[in-house]
Amino acid sequence: MRFTIYIAILLGSFSAFAQEGKKVQFVGGARSLLSHSDFTSQTDMEDTVTARKMTGGYALLDLGFKINPNATTEILGMIRIKNDFGGFWGSGVNFDVRQLYVKGVAANVLRYQIGNIDYKLSPYTFYNHNADMLVQSTASLKIKEDIVNYETFYKNNTWRQQGAAADFALKFPKVIQEMKFNGFITRMNPTNMTNILERFYGGGNITIVQSKYFTIGGNHVSVFDLKQTAASNDAYRNSVSTGTFASGMEFDKIKFGIDGETGFSNSFSSQDNEGKLSDYFVNAKLNVEAKKLGIKFNLGYMDNGADFRSAGAQSKRVDYNQVNNYYDRYTNAQIVRSLSMYDLYNDPTLYTSSINTGIMAYNPSINNALPYGTATFNRKGIYSTLSYEDKKKIVAVTATYYKLSEIRGQGTFNLKTFDYLKGNLVFDVSNLLKWKLKQIVNIGVAYQNTQRKSDLSFEKISLKSTTVNVGVELEIVKDLAILGNAFMFSSVGNEILPVRNDKGEIINFSPYIVDGQELNLSAGLKFNFSKDVYLACLYEQNKNNFNTLNPYNIKQLMLFYVMKF
Amino acid sequence: MKKIFLISIVGFSLFTSCRKEEINKIDGPSLEDLNGAFSVITGLQASQDSVDFAAGETVFFTAEIAKTTPWKLRVIGMTSGAEKIMTGTSKIIDASQTLWNGSTTNLPMFRAEICKVELTFPGLPDTLMTDVKIINPKVNAGFLITDFETGFNPGWTSFIQSGADMDFQIKSDVTAPEGNAYYNMAGTVDWDWLVGLINFKATAYSGATLFPLTSNPNNLYFNVMVYGEVGLTNSLVLFQFQEDEDANGTFDTATEDLYSHQITIDWTGWKLVSIKYSDIPCLVNGSPATANGNGQHNSDKINQINMLHLANPISGFAKSKLDYIIFTENGPLIP
Repeated sequence: MRFTIYIAILLGSFSAFAQEGKKVQFVGGARSLLSHSDFTSQTDMEDTVTARKMTGGYALLDLGFKINPNATTEILGMIRIKNDFGGFWGSGVNFDVRQLYVKGVAANVLRYQIGNIDYKLSPYTFYNHNADMLVQSTASLKIKEDIVNYETFYKNNTWRQQGAAADFALKFPKVIQEMKFNGFITRMNPTNMTNILERFYGGGNITIVQSKYFTIGGNHVSVFDLKQTAASNDAYRNSVSTGTFASGMEFDKIKFGIDGETGFSNSFSSQDNEGKLSDYFVNAKLNVEAKKLGIKFNLGYMDNGADFRSAGAQSKRVDYNQVNNYYDRYTNAQIVRSLSMYDLYNDPTLYTSSINTGIMAYNPSINNALPYGTATFNRKGIYSTLSYEDKKKIVAVTATYYKLSEIRGQGTFNLKTFDYLKGNLVFDVSNLLKWKLKQIVNIGVAYQNTQRKSDLSFEKISLKSTTVNVGVELEIVKDLAILGNAFMFSSVGNEILPVRNDKGEIINFSPYIVDGQELNLSAGLKFNFSKDVYLACLYEQNKNNFNTLNPYNIKQLMLFYVMKF
Repeated sequence: MKKIFLISIVGFSLFTSCRKEEINKIDGPSLEDLNGAFSVITGLQASQDSVDFAAGETVFFTAEIAKTTPWKLRVIGMTSGAEKIMTGTSKIIDASQTLWNGSTTNLPMFRAEICKVELTFPGLPDTLMTDVKIINPKVNAGFLITDFETGFNPGWTSFIQSGADMDFQIKSDVTAPEGNAYYNMAGTVDWDWLVGLINFKATAYSGATLFPLTSNPNNLYFNVMVYGEVGLTNSLVLFQFQEDEDANGTFDTATEDLYSHQITIDWTGWKLVSIKYSDIPCLVNGSPATANGNGQHNSDKINQINMLHLANPISGFAKSKLDYIIFTENGPLIP
């Protein structure tokens, strides 16, 4: 054998599994929220039906038992005990299993996990894009987003699934440095024994690291129905195969690189050959880094085919078909209150943790350019990111601009064009003034402009949306900080949204006209008992006039206690 | 390092240049079709001026409009008043949607007559018109028991109660759903459910003791056109099918099957009633019962069909009309 092969365990040492002498550990978190809200709708008639003031809250404990029966095995079982305030003698108390998994290393070679797995592969195969929160959260907004992410298990763009995963790596002394192998299989839905087949989602990747200058990989994922698990023979399949690459050159002052992903998808039902969809995508970018100046720049091109479908990468976090749990109806006519940014930051139940094989609904005002993230189908164009960070870490700024268009028109040969600019500025006053108390100012902006030009008035589209968040965290004494946020979201114009059938085919179009603004102002105090334990008191006011006839205003006082252990 | 970097750039450039053109494709229906202005590009035309349906001819209608629009095509018999309705949503109206074989949507059936053809668009004032002449109406395949056009067959027998206002006779006027004649059954009988009846005997046709019908009861349909009188809902029409299972030329009630189809006439105007022969039950006083014979629907053993007009004796005057009694195969009658 020409090369000696070494087998390596990925992603850190497994010695962390079993801390010396501790076979059983308690892990988890606790949270309590007390909230008082005041809702007013500014209509011509006084709203005498909707309960204006509401007080509520809950206390919850996520108690996990982490058991290490030996040095290479870890078992985690976590239960949730939640008590809504107002419950008494067990009323309003819920017990749930929140997490359950076994993980370990087999034969010092293969790492595995069975049960709940948090998984991702590449942005076009299996990836949890955050396509609805376009600006970076800070201060009080970050407290809320952290809770949403904790409740939904969103972390590092992974999806929480139930199944099994395994990985291992081979190291080589020459030519190739390393080969990494990952694989997973999850169960998407059980059979109902009649018309719904058992559905699975599985795949994996191989990454070959030639050197620090060149890496190449292959990814494959597939949603597939298991035939003969129900009376139906109509089995669905969505397969995505992609290749990734990254290469670069490095000099003293400057670094160049190119990386990207390209691949294709096939989607079909076994009894619907005419509905088969196949397409491919390309996404690659050139990177330049001026190391001493702290400047990074990239210029990329993406071309996501109109029929490219990837369930694991195009599933949205937010389920826009859900209705609000909080003030779901208002006014004397009890009209439905539509999902707002306020709700997206406050209500984790609006999010989903499942992979969806259909085309999920989206809000064009929030994100029309890339509603399904980078993997959005029917988009092509260029994008560029410029970022700068000074050596003293006083200022960090990044801006990304997308200039995109459709590849195939919807209902017309005229194509929509999308301009999408998002940026973020972090200004660390404490580093500037060399204070020990943290003083951070964060400004995030996202702007989208959708246009479709046509000689026919009913084909014209013009939709502009702006999201701005200004947040401050001012530590006044050690561990005690003032938080403040001004969040504004506005949208004006029109869109023509596709109406799709169960197969995702466009069967009609629905006009969408919007002219509204949402303004959320919040302020509060946060006291950090330790890195993972804090108490925060926030007051916020949210004004929303997207329903021009029935604008509303929510004032809310919240007290959070959050702990992780 | 440089080589790998350059190869990557060249490979990327080649890949990005290979997107197939999508110039001639759109997703979903055309917005111009859905939202454009309505206008007629080509008027309504019939594929031929006159048509002989009896000879197997067909006619279709064409038109073209500027946008995809729901449409309704009505063919109206100028003499019979028969109506054929076809609907669709399209911008081009052609043979695939409007091919007409002479059938009717609403009774009566078409005759040899001039027909007016109207193309309308719901919600729009525009109406396109043309006409077509029926040289001979459609001929329906099947075994015709009677359409009453040739009078009372001497091989039939009948019984009519001696009640008040009794009117059991073949009438001839333009209201007949087929041809010119139909059978009228009317009267008041306050002591019995039976108002009157006709026995259609197989021997009245070709002299054979059994009707010449298929032996497959699952492929045989019994059809009759029944008229419901305005304001009267007390008429029942009972069709009895006597099976001479042992083919001895007579029907024995005690040992052979008698299947009955009872029609409660609770509608107004003419209506086609069709039923698969194998679905016709055995009834005793209107309730399902076990047949007295082999319990199998032997459609090729029917030797007599009885048509009874019934009404609750306390309900007073009862009236109904019948026409075009026919057996068809492979499906119900499409008039």
